[in-house]
Amino acid sequence: MKRLLIILLMSVGITLCATAQEGLRINEVFGGHVVSKQFIQESLVKGDNLAPYNLKVLHTAKCVANNKERTTIEQLFEEDMKERISDDNSNMEMESRDGHLYYAIVQLKNGARGTHRYICYQCRDRSSHYDITLVYMEGKASLADLRRTFKKK
Amino acid sequence: MMNKETNIRELLRRYMEGESTQAELRLLKEYFDSEQDLPEDLRAFAQMFAIIDEEMPTPSAEALDRFSSPLKENRRSFRLWPLLAAACIAAFAFIILMPPEEENMAIAYVDGKMLNNEVQAMQMGQEALQEIFSNGNQEQQLSELFNEP
Repeated sequence: MKRLLIILLMSVGITLCATAQEGLRINEVFGGHVVSKQFIQESLVKGDNLAPYNLKVLHTAKCVANNKERTTIEQLFEEDMKERISDDNSNMEMESRDGHLYYAIVQLKNGARGTHRYICYQCRDRSSHYDITLVYMEGKASLADLRRTFKKK
Repeated sequence: MMNKETNIRELLRRYMEGESTQAELRLLKEYFDSEQDLPEDLRAFAQMFAIIDEEMPTPSAEALDRFSSPLKENRRSFRLWPLLAAACIAAFAFIILMPPEEENMAIAYVDGKMLNNEVQAMQMGQEALQEIFSNGNQEQQLSELFNEP
């Protein structure tokens, strides 16, 4: 009976992990809890469309934020960064200025099915507001692959 | 005498309850066959034991088989339970652990409205990634910075 319970609990755990974006703090931003949905441009793509990039999930959000909202988003992102795979340059890029995060690409610990998971953050100071871009990605592509594919020449 | 009668009464009670062994049955039969001076309430038993064969019929091997076969079946079905439980767990694990069919989805949210537009969703996603991986296109940022009034 005890073994059966352990097997059941493990199965439930795996099922929950399979929906890998769940549990991330930045979901509050995607969900419109930090910045109103009216000020967010969001895209969620899953499946075949992402096959050329070797990705399975791509979730992006671009939002216009005030100073307070920017700080909250930054804090949420930094919380999620704790789940990073390592501090190695091959798994992470980061740029901070004046105590604020301006840019980060972070590889998180792998998802349940061995897929790579990434979160990205970019903040552009527009003097009256901030343009913030948040990205969650999941798939087999490595960070090097993604850099090659998406870096503008 | 009294003690023997008491014993016989006890054996009779056991016989009537169906608890007698072959040896006890034999004792009862010997007693009722040999005892001449029986108490009145035991005389009816003497007649009964007179018509009971001393040797109880031994069941044939075939009869024993027939008798025990339902028990064997019961035992077999009981042993099936662990197998059935294992099969259920295996089926459950198979359903849970099998990678689900990849779901295709492309949704864009603009100005708080959901657009089920695959092209737009892809375009927005690609633009966001290009912006991130070009670090906000630093050249553009620098030109914006220096061109500010």
